[in-house]
Amino acid sequence: MAALPRRIIKETQRLMAEPVPGISAVPDESNARYFHVIVTGPEDSPFEGGLFKLELFLPEDYPMSAPKVRFITKIYHPNIDKLGRICLDILKDKWSPALQIRTVLLSIQALLSAPNPDDPLANDVAELWKINEIEAIRNAKEWTRKYAMDN
Amino acid sequence: MADIFNFIFGVVRNIFRMFSSSRNPLNNSLNIFIKCNTGNTLTVGLDPKWDIKDVKNIIAPKLGANPDEVKIIFAGKELDDSIIIEDCDLGEQSTLHAVKLKDLSIRATKQKKCSLLRETVEDEDEITLLQEKNNRDKSHFYVYCSVCAAMKIGKLRIRCSKCKSGAFTVDTDPKSWNDVLKPNKISGHCEQNDCPDGVFGWAQFYFRCAEHICQGENDIAVPLYLLKNNLRKIPCLACTEIKDIVFVFTCREAHVTCLECFRVYAVLRLRERQFVLDDSFGYTISCPVGCENSLIDECHHFKLLTKEQYEMYQKFATEEYILKAGGVLCPQPGCGEGIIVDLKCDKIVCVNGCGYVFCRKCLQGYHIGECNSVDNNISIDNIQHVTDPAKALQARWDEATNVAIRVTTKPCPKCRTATERSGGCMHMICTRCSFHWCWVCQIEWSRDCMGTHWFG
Repeated sequence: MAALPRRIIKETQRLMAEPVPGISAVPDESNARYFHVIVTGPEDSPFEGGLFKLELFLPEDYPMSAPKVRFITKIYHPNIDKLGRICLDILKDKWSPALQIRTVLLSIQALLSAPNPDDPLANDVAELWKINEIEAIRNAKEWTRKYAMDN
Repeated sequence: MADIFNFIFGVVRNIFRMFSSSRNPLNNSLNIFIKCNTGNTLTVGLDPKWDIKDVKNIIAPKLGANPDEVKIIFAGKELDDSIIIEDCDLGEQSTLHAVKLKDLSIRATKQKKCSLLRETVEDEDEITLLQEKNNRDKSHFYVYCSVCAAMKIGKLRIRCSKCKSGAFTVDTDPKSWNDVLKPNKISGHCEQNDCPDGVFGWAQFYFRCAEHICQGENDIAVPLYLLKNNLRKIPCLACTEIKDIVFVFTCREAHVTCLECFRVYAVLRLRERQFVLDDSFGYTISCPVGCENSLIDECHHFKLLTKEQYEMYQKFATEEYILKAGGVLCPQPGCGEGIIVDLKCDKIVCVNGCGYVFCRKCLQGYHIGECNSVDNNISIDNIQHVTDPAKALQARWDEATNVAIRVTTKPCPKCRTATERSGGCMHMICTRCSFHWCWVCQIEWSRDCMGTHWFG
């Protein structure tokens, strides 16, 4: 394994020293490119009170390629599918090496506050979110309580 | 007062020179060509400690003139008598230009202190920055040298845009890359006797590699003007390290990467076929941040890649050009020859390549009638012996490959490039023609596809 690039070391140090409010990202002990992430559900969202586990991996080409991020905790969200894959432009074609782990996690946190059912990944969820938002939000709260609390 | 100072300075220098030259008599002399406006070229050995006055003393008799009547021109500047040769950044076998003045009165009016044209073509604020730092030893130009086949430090040189003579003095120093790269920006005077433009003319700037001995007039190098010395200590946007030489993109923000990250970025984009074919700049990429108007407009910058990577770049660029021009690429494995075709004719022969004859529409062997979309294009009519047709089908060498390709790939709906889906979602982006298509529907990617079967 090649030495860890200075950029990754610096980003990790900063994440440790000045963590983003509501987000914790800790590198794996055996692989400094693999991060264990916990995002707290934003206030005034159906995910409030939940702790959502994610995994984040920095590929070999990082920062020229985007980090790979996935929800491990089940979540009822129109832009996150049942395998935890996230529909977020900056993780795909809008990625730029000027972005960081920090900005990616902030964007994911923002996605929890503002679901976008017009750009769906989980189709059934998005469908319900559009037809019956009240029920969709109830489901999201239910899932949060069931999967993202007390574990 | 100034005269006294100059006198004392001159004496001290002469004494110093006597000592230094007696210690190592001409063992570090520079072989320099001196080109005269009469057409003669002299080869002289110059001591780097000499000044221009000494050079004039040597040259004048050969021109049949007094030393006062001789003007020495180098890199667009008349050199003042007091300039020391080693300060001129002359390489071995460089060329100086000597001009015999026709009229001494012209000289009197033009007598002004000329500073040497240093490598200071940067933004205006950078010039002051450079002066502050007094960073004279550092070159500020990088070039691609085809002789060395590598990125090298370069030297800026000037000649007359009409007659190409180096006996040319500029009226003003170039202030920006624009002045250097665009024609007719900086005016000057050509001293060549037979120049059609006479005295007034435009300067033409060019570069030489500073790291090999000049191999004559045509030994010029391409400026890699997006490379700069990192005097401002800007960290690379990707690796955040502060490197000595950086790549500065042409976007308004002038984003900076180090050369290593530039290479990684360029190769990644190249492998993903994410370069674009621009009508004016060629096959190129923009700033990694994705800024507008940031395409790299000098393709020689891709010479920073390895030889193999650059060959891949050239291959892809050629293919893109052919496809854009309505041509096709020969589908035979290992061939890929580009062929510009007549759109009215479906029968294509790979004339300059492997000779394969194929159908323009389906890229299979040429056939009469409609294209066979999938199977059943295997003919067993010409088999002489009685065999089990089923077994014969399985025993075909190429067939296994064809079947494997058919099973594992789908053609891009637009350019028909066989595409394998190794994972991820159903949204395919053709690496050859950039068409967005759906793996399930095999038509252009749509919102419906995204809604119903994005991940299958």
